[in-house]
Amino acid sequence: MAEDTVRDDQAPEGTAPGDDRRAVRTRIVAVLNGIGGQGGALVMLVVLVAAFSVLAPNFLTVGNVLNILRQFAVTMMLAIGQTLVIITAGIDLSVAATAALAGSVMGVAFAHWGMSQPVAILLGLGAGFLVGAFNGWAITKLKVPDIIATLGTLTAVRGVALLVTGGLPVPNFSQVVEGRRMPPAVTFLGAGTYYRVPLIILVAAVCAVVGWFILSRTTLGRAMYAVGGNREAAHVSGINVNRTKFWTYVISALLASVGGIMLSGRLASANALMANLMELQTIAAVVIGGTALFGGEGRVGGTVIGVFIIGVLANGLNIFGVSEFWQSIITGLIIVVVVALDQWRRRATAAAEGAA
Amino acid sequence: MPLLEVRGVHKVYPGVRALAGVDLTVEAGEVHALLGENGAGKSTLMKAVAGAVTPNAGDLLLDGEPVPFGSPQTSRDRGIGIVYQELSLVPALSIAENVLLGRLPRTRFGLVDWKAVRTSVAPHLERVGLDVDPRRSVRDFGMAERQLVEIAKAVSSNVRVLLLDEPTSALSDRESRRLFGVIHDLTGSGVAVVYVSHRLPEVVAIADRITVLRDGEHVETVPAEGVSEQQLARMMVGRAVDGPTSARAAGTAGSGADVVLRATGLARRPRLAPVDLELRAGEIVGIFGLVGAGRTRLARTLFGLEPATEGSLEVFGAPVTLRSPADAIAAGIGYVGEDRAAGLIHRMSVGANITLASLSRTRRGPLMDFARERDLAEHYVDQLGIRVPTIDALVETLSGGNQQKVLLARWLCSQARILILDDPVRGVDVGAKEEVYRLVTQLSAEGVAVLLLTSEIKEARTYADRVLVMADGAITAALPADASEDQIMTAAGGVHG
Repeated sequence: MAEDTVRDDQAPEGTAPGDDRRAVRTRIVAVLNGIGGQGGALVMLVVLVAAFSVLAPNFLTVGNVLNILRQFAVTMMLAIGQTLVIITAGIDLSVAATAALAGSVMGVAFAHWGMSQPVAILLGLGAGFLVGAFNGWAITKLKVPDIIATLGTLTAVRGVALLVTGGLPVPNFSQVVEGRRMPPAVTFLGAGTYYRVPLIILVAAVCAVVGWFILSRTTLGRAMYAVGGNREAAHVSGINVNRTKFWTYVISALLASVGGIMLSGRLASANALMANLMELQTIAAVVIGGTALFGGEGRVGGTVIGVFIIGVLANGLNIFGVSEFWQSIITGLIIVVVVALDQWRRRATAAAEGAA
Repeated sequence: MPLLEVRGVHKVYPGVRALAGVDLTVEAGEVHALLGENGAGKSTLMKAVAGAVTPNAGDLLLDGEPVPFGSPQTSRDRGIGIVYQELSLVPALSIAENVLLGRLPRTRFGLVDWKAVRTSVAPHLERVGLDVDPRRSVRDFGMAERQLVEIAKAVSSNVRVLLLDEPTSALSDRESRRLFGVIHDLTGSGVAVVYVSHRLPEVVAIADRITVLRDGEHVETVPAEGVSEQQLARMMVGRAVDGPTSARAAGTAGSGADVVLRATGLARRPRLAPVDLELRAGEIVGIFGLVGAGRTRLARTLFGLEPATEGSLEVFGAPVTLRSPADAIAAGIGYVGEDRAAGLIHRMSVGANITLASLSRTRRGPLMDFARERDLAEHYVDQLGIRVPTIDALVETLSGGNQQKVLLARWLCSQARILILDDPVRGVDVGAKEEVYRLVTQLSAEGVAVLLLTSEIKEARTYADRVLVMADGAITAALPADASEDQIMTAAGGVHG
């Protein structure tokens, strides 16, 4: 019963001379699989960085790299939460709106209502928590499909943020408490630097570590993979599917809130419409990073690479003076190419396993 | 010359021999029943004739002319229609659209010609005795009507041989009789009907001839007239019908041991009638029933997947209410469902799958204790002899038998003392089958109580201490393991007789 044990990972050995193409293919797949499973994304990142470095001498400079990291730190924070949600086979369209709400609530509480710094920050996070809890409740108790529930909150939450800010940027002259702007701690982390390193990068790194820790070190993370991998099996194994989904959406909303608060610090201002369409960037980053949209698979590391790809692309094309119109087109196509490459890798791997 | 002739068909799936040289001849205008236990090869044979499965060897002749295997389109064009057990209608579309799916008449402009649709679909509906507005969508109708729509669809393409796979499995008696009327009309017009079932009474009633398959082999073809249900049951289950009793001599376990699970009037209306059940430590109780008898529903109710609507349940002497699998697991119950794929997380490692129901054992507060997880997983991999290079291998890379052992390991790991196993060897090859049963027997010897649900009499008799028979959502008989296979089969099908 030797063949009863485990199928071989390798392609069949002793390929005939005519099978050169298949051998090359096998090797490419092996390389892609070898790079930590991030396959297509990491290759694409390396290619992009190499290409831009050669073509634009001022691309690969410390200043420019830090610039990219600073610009996409907030996207990273939102994308980490999105990763957790997508691993549970959900999707959170409301992350960017939640970020705007958290930043706005914090800003209004501090600058307009004159609350203390910690209270204002906690109110911002609290607003985010409520959005996440509402998402989780609507999805698990009302059985609204994830994409619809969060599409609803995306719209509603922008409305709440407009209501809170009166549709004006925060702080604004008519309502501001004398001498107040954004909370100093928030401005420090969002816009400050240590030597030349923007602190917002460190905040994003902390968020990534938190996401990684939850996914790979906690029982909640294990439950997330189980629920996304096979909801029925998770249920039969006694995992509380609803509770897992609920907390995943709460964590996503909290990470988004941190992102929104940091964005307010970086801009030294908040408004209800900031981070517009950033939810789509986060989904793109997660998918580029190799997380399966149907759940059960994925890593924070992949998402980090995914955000880098989007950032490098935007920055590199800017340096070349490529028009924003073309930037959209190119970014869109790259997303499709990377994911196509990843799908091809999966199919080829599965075929090799099946053949052995 | 027979209308349809199948010669020497072989079909081998990895590890399973589904058909081993089966012959079948069908005459025009006859109802030819295909009878056999689960796994006997009935469905595979039907699919081969319909072109949905490509056999490894054999011939198919229609009117003496060869029909190539492996193309549903060709089979359909030559006049072979099939209605699968799982209907393949599109619920949102109208009856007319479903019947003519893929070949809707068009106008000159390439648009659907709705007038022509209605006029061309009418005779087909009339032929199957379906008097409904063809514009209504299929989802408005029950199983019986859908079945007839499906048949109308099959006959609409000049069908000469109609294959029906377990057509009554979801029908009531009255609906079944209506279907038989339709079948009768069809054969009257020269169509041959091949009828797959394992319900003896209806087969005897409707068929002209009966072919019995067992383990992928042709056992016998007999005229339906004059054959008794008992004779057929004997052919289905094989020679040793009233031969030696089970491997476990009756009463090896049980009578003296503690009752670990007691259900009193436990029911889930309307599909599961009140059930009384007692399970003792170290006992294996077989639950036998045909497809649709309610075995799986009972199992799911006992595991909290479909909470009971009435009755009471005691586990280890304490009354419990099971609202979810988590409750059942906490009470010491484990469950292996009939669909192995539904129980495993394929992209997770063997180790993670084994410990999935025991997170309480592998956690330190909110954190995973990976060392503990590894120890536990390796322990059960060893104990059950699961063949993997490392516990980090993805569970999807394992063979069916080893996957099944991973599921058993999951419940040993969760320290379940009551195991509900629903068809635990489905789709597992013969060698692994025996191994799984050896494990189950060994566990029962260690005091685990096992509820073994099966649709194979042989398994129930061989491995269980006693057998409960289910039909139509209720327990119809409690028999000792040395009850004859005829007795069991009769109890399982009796309600329909």
